[in-house]
Amino acid sequence: MKIGLFIPCYVDVVYPQVGVATYKLLKHLGLDVTYPLNQTCCGQPMANAGFEKQAIPLAEKFEDKFKEFDYVVAPSVSCTAFVKLNYSRLLEGKHECLTSSKIMDVVEFLHDVIKVNHPLGTFPHKVSLHNSCHGVRELGLSSPSEEHVTPFNKIKDLLNLVEGIQVLEPERPDECCGFGGMFAIEETAVSAQMGLDKVQRHMKTGARFITGPDCSCLMHMAGVAKKQGLNVEFKHVVEILAAGL
Amino acid sequence: MSTGHSKAAKEFLKNQTYAKWHDATFWAVRSKRDNMAYGLDEWEQLREKASQIKRHTITHLDEYLDQFATNAEKNGCIVHWAKDANEFNEIVYGILKNHNVKKIVKSKSMLTEECGMNPYLEEHGIEVVETDLGERIIQLKGQAPSHIVMPAIHLNHDDVGELFEEKLGSEKGNHDPTYLTYVARLSLRNEFLTADAGMTGGNFGIAETGDIVVCTNEGNADMSTSCPKLHIAAIGLEKIIPNYDCLAVFQRMLCRAGTGQPTTTFTSHFRKARPTAHPMHIVLVDNGRSEWIGNPEHWEALKCIRCGSCMNTCPVYRRSGGYSYSYFIPGPIGINLGMLRDPQKHSGNVSACTLCNSCQTVCPAKVNLGDQIYLWRQQLDEFGTANPEKKLICKGLGTVYGSSGIYNLGTALAHWANIIPSPLMNCGLNPWAEGHKMMEFPKKPFHKLIKEIEK
Amino acid sequence: MSNKEDILKKYRANVREKYDMPDLSDIKAITYNDPLVQFIKMTESVGGHVIEVKEGQDINELVKEMYPDAKEIASNLPEVTIATRNPDTVGRARDLNGTDVGIIRGQFGVAENACVWIPQTMKEKAVCFISENLVILLPKSQIVNNMHEAYKRIKFDETYDGYGTFISGPSKTADIAQVLVMGAQAARSATILLLPE
Repeated sequence: MKIGLFIPCYVDVVYPQVGVATYKLLKHLGLDVTYPLNQTCCGQPMANAGFEKQAIPLAEKFEDKFKEFDYVVAPSVSCTAFVKLNYSRLLEGKHECLTSSKIMDVVEFLHDVIKVNHPLGTFPHKVSLHNSCHGVRELGLSSPSEEHVTPFNKIKDLLNLVEGIQVLEPERPDECCGFGGMFAIEETAVSAQMGLDKVQRHMKTGARFITGPDCSCLMHMAGVAKKQGLNVEFKHVVEILAAGL
Repeated sequence: MSTGHSKAAKEFLKNQTYAKWHDATFWAVRSKRDNMAYGLDEWEQLREKASQIKRHTITHLDEYLDQFATNAEKNGCIVHWAKDANEFNEIVYGILKNHNVKKIVKSKSMLTEECGMNPYLEEHGIEVVETDLGERIIQLKGQAPSHIVMPAIHLNHDDVGELFEEKLGSEKGNHDPTYLTYVARLSLRNEFLTADAGMTGGNFGIAETGDIVVCTNEGNADMSTSCPKLHIAAIGLEKIIPNYDCLAVFQRMLCRAGTGQPTTTFTSHFRKARPTAHPMHIVLVDNGRSEWIGNPEHWEALKCIRCGSCMNTCPVYRRSGGYSYSYFIPGPIGINLGMLRDPQKHSGNVSACTLCNSCQTVCPAKVNLGDQIYLWRQQLDEFGTANPEKKLICKGLGTVYGSSGIYNLGTALAHWANIIPSPLMNCGLNPWAEGHKMMEFPKKPFHKLIKEIEK
Repeated sequence: MSNKEDILKKYRANVREKYDMPDLSDIKAITYNDPLVQFIKMTESVGGHVIEVKEGQDINELVKEMYPDAKEIASNLPEVTIATRNPDTVGRARDLNGTDVGIIRGQFGVAENACVWIPQTMKEKAVCFISENLVILLPKSQIVNNMHEAYKRIKFDETYDGYGTFISGPSKTADIAQVLVMGAQAARSATILLLPE
């Protein structure tokens, strides 16, 4: 099984430690993982802003870089969802598209493909789980609170393999944090309000850390929290899974 | 980079007490809906059936409309067809004029709002009295509805108390909702008794029987049609459904989804006028629907049953209120219907969304609301309403991401942003800094670190 | 060409892909071990009242006990002897205003939501809405589980075949500051008298 590691642009620049944790964790599990050089972006920011055609050259590059792998794994639910749900439509008639069926977010990969079931790292803290929207409603990482289905949460399942951890969920467990890409700079007031409301709900659980499967949500909430002087820390799920390994 | 919506939302959020109440109130309705959904094992099955029934019906609507009209006429009703809003208003006025109607009482109808019927009739000398309490409140106040099911939700009991003191002569200072509701009851009772005609909308029209089905909690549709001698029912084309078996699916979900109740108090079937009244008139309204069915990306908006649950779950609607949207229907369905109605006018609403998709996960008819908003965004350039700053930013991103060379250079320099002085970083040109403290850029991006790790 | 033809023609021309009607017979709708118990529970939860009429009990006495101060009672039901007004014989619908208690007949009840199917069986249906208090006579064996079952059996009266309604509890509104108030524009209370067979 050859795994291609996709590290999204903002993870590359702002949260490289998440990329490092992802790489180290996959290696620790004995997997054959490669990081192809000269990655850039999946194209989601432009597409969500209304310029999806600009994602096409990026999709073509992505395809060429990753098509040889069996799985493409990324520590980002939003980027994964974008590739999975849009690339074949965007590339239709222009370029073959194999990666949309190979891409997986690292959480769903570890849960569904590797089926990790043994203890992982150590993280003896209370954490509040942030169920990112793309994870819930596009990748099926957890049961959406809107639906009447048997409840499940793949992120929680994995986090519970970490020693000492206590995983909590806030009220309104899958309400959006308010990042939304360009939404954050276009609807600044609503975005900040949503971010603040979400951080406060997370903090109300008593957790010291807020964790989730997407750095864009964490980046947004962290920025709002710091601005408001709120004392809470943020870690990507994969950083916790790899803690102490 | 602001829009009409973002500016209005900013104002809305300045009143933090009210904004928090608004958000909590609608979340409570969403929670009540959740309890209803969790209480029926068949809830997701019903949603899927509802979606399939609607897809079938609206793609065969010409047949069902014909069947409906034929049966309604067999029942003794007079069926009119209005191709647009203006024609609708003219038809209604014509009927009222023929019956010497001076005052008409009406139950809630978003369709009549869509067509601007009230001001039209008033201009032509007919008094129109809204009888849904929420609609009556905003009518007396001269305002538009801020939600399709709870139109007066933006007013608190003091606002209503003061309004009733002025307009209905209620007791000064008594702002108790129970008392105010009673004052309205007495006032509206008088209107029902003295009106010459009653108008209802239609939640559903049943093709197989010619029934118009109207669902209310207040009983105002039934009062509007039990005393006055003329009943006019207005209904959009897409509200026609095949038969009672289909109706059961929708009736069970409409109120559960919209207000978290198992049913509205009244689910009334109007087949023909009562024996002591004039024949019933039904006006079927197109006003764009026959065009929208041909829109390959947006035809499913016609599945909507106007329950309002998408608004209740929308985190943006809850924090910005109905008046922040430029279309008279707010929230996710309003964004989509507004774009179908007039894309140039309502483009500003399309960015009032984080694409969280809670709306389409909640929608009883599985309208793909969030997906459609994403698709509308792709068309803004073509409509001439794409935001130029956004376009420039995306072009810039396209250039940077399109070249590994430029990208690698840019990311190598990113950490210099850490030392930009705060007043400069947090100036008006950086909207991110409005709500966020800037993030720290690590010295080395991942693509540099990996080389060290791999060694 | 008429408006109807114009509209239908336009619609027909614009429809793209067509979809089939789904099978509705496989809907696993909720059922109850005891639909009557559920019906009573739901009626109370929506603000209605339920009284089980005993064998041989006179409903007229019962209504008088329930509403000792009632002056105007409207009904066209033959078993109601205390009516002071009759919706079949009033001059105009509005003459029923000021009715303290309206007594009407329901055909069957729905357990899942306390709905009672009430076809129009009187000249002026206003009696169902204009009365301050509504009393609905309902045979207690006639309870179905859910609206799917209900919609398979609703019937309209042979004479007054133009109207029927499901009524669930008293009229209500939460339009003022989301505070729930019983008694909006129609009956302020609704009582089901469950009749023994």
